[in-house]
Amino acid sequence: MSALVCALAPLVLAGVLGPAGAGKLFGRGTAWQAPRTALARLLRDGGRAALVLRALGAVELLLAAALLAPPATPLPGAAAALLGAGFLGYLGYARAVAPGSSCGCTARQDAPLTWRAFARAAAVLAGGVVAALAQQPWWTAAARRPAAALCLVLAAAAVLTALSADPDRRWRMPLRRLRLRIAGHPLAATGNRLAAAGHPLGATGTPAAVPVAATVELLERSRAWQSASRVVRSALLDHWDDGGWRILQFAGVHGGGTAARPVLVLFAVDAAASLDTVREPAVRVSVIDADSGAPVMATA
Amino acid sequence: MSAYRTGDPLDRRRFLTAAALRGATVIGTGALTTGALSAGALGTGVIGATALGAVDADAAFAAPIRPLDPAVAESAFAEGRITAINQDVLEVAGSYGDHSRVRVTNATSVWKARATTATDIETGDGLYARGLPLPDGTLAADAVWVNIVNLHATIRGIEKTRLHLAHGQHEIVGNLMAQTTSASYGDASPTADLSRLTIGQSAQVLGAWRPSDGSVDLVRVAVAPGAGRRR
Repeated sequence: MSALVCALAPLVLAGVLGPAGAGKLFGRGTAWQAPRTALARLLRDGGRAALVLRALGAVELLLAAALLAPPATPLPGAAAALLGAGFLGYLGYARAVAPGSSCGCTARQDAPLTWRAFARAAAVLAGGVVAALAQQPWWTAAARRPAAALCLVLAAAAVLTALSADPDRRWRMPLRRLRLRIAGHPLAATGNRLAAAGHPLGATGTPAAVPVAATVELLERSRAWQSASRVVRSALLDHWDDGGWRILQFAGVHGGGTAARPVLVLFAVDAAASLDTVREPAVRVSVIDADSGAPVMATA
Repeated sequence: MSAYRTGDPLDRRRFLTAAALRGATVIGTGALTTGALSAGALGTGVIGATALGAVDADAAFAAPIRPLDPAVAESAFAEGRITAINQDVLEVAGSYGDHSRVRVTNATSVWKARATTATDIETGDGLYARGLPLPDGTLAADAVWVNIVNLHATIRGIEKTRLHLAHGQHEIVGNLMAQTTSASYGDASPTADLSRLTIGQSAQVLGAWRPSDGSVDLVRVAVAPGAGRRR
């Protein structure tokens, strides 16, 4: 089994280094991404960092090609191990001087430094060491035990995918979508079927059917609000439902100059009404003295 | 008026309900008022204006507007993190190195994910406040919005009690609150029905940030029109 692992390591490693190298060498994003990497910090120049990244890409591509060739010498594996060690050192440096910067490892746009980058570099180092020990070409070993080889490659691919820079977009979101599709929407209980269909009766029944935000929106577009808005000063202070009415309480000031006194402005709105169901809201308005509770004025 | 004077909130509410229902009934929708502001492409509709400006949570992001009532002095604005609370005065360190003192009275509305009271305000909270400058240098707040955030995000995951949101490079956990969190789909008015949110949607999120763990208590999630249609 260990011989099989050793034999297949060059293949897996080439699969990691090849795409990453090609992305760095030929990718359009390298030039504008380079200034944001920690490498630019190290070299004190974004242009130079882009050159180094492209050169590194070429090295990775060459290594990938050498790893795919028959294992005449342990050199490609050793070189890959060295590269992995170099990555680790660079990441440690970047973490120390520019923790917010991108590492530029996988030639993908600004992925910040995470433990995943370190794990990837360690995997390259370990893979290089194992690949250096390979005794036979990977195609021979794979032909001898195809099932085991396939399982091994798939397992390695799964691990490497999990370590890729942006797992969220690549597999977590599709998986979550799938789970919602299979298990149903976790928030389905918040919408009764009538309301979801836009049915006028959808808002009735449960008191929570119309959120306060909808009532406030309705109030703020009403004529009642305009007639009292000169007096209102605060945002919503308090609200409660009582016998089908929703009472909204605001603070305000009535009168000007020396006659000004603090008042409470109360609006009563149908608790089941919202802009979707009512065109002409009927709102009751009263203004009462904040100290005595006596009505102050009639707005009409 | 004894019911009004008692400290029991239930009695007080009962009294105020009766007072509210005795009030004049006004029917109809008003014309558009000034002070309307739209929250980005997913406009949250027209907002009424008081003597000092708009009063819903979005108003926290509005520039101070000229009062409609010439008798009212210019409203002032303060923002920042609360560094200390001395009785009814909040010491606020502004984002730009300025410092202000905000006075909270019993007529001040306090928003912290919902309409609440000054007892909910804690040191370390962020705030926006609007009110009148007093001669002693404090700002007498008419309205205070605590920890309010308004951001454009992408829904990355939906669970029973929370949404996973991506805002730029940041992953944010949005806590769903029963009775409070509402969704608005396109131009429709806010609804408690969150079942039409889908993964991958862009959303304008209004909520209250929790300084303790960096998550956001979701108040309103507005998604674009046409979103949430079941295919």
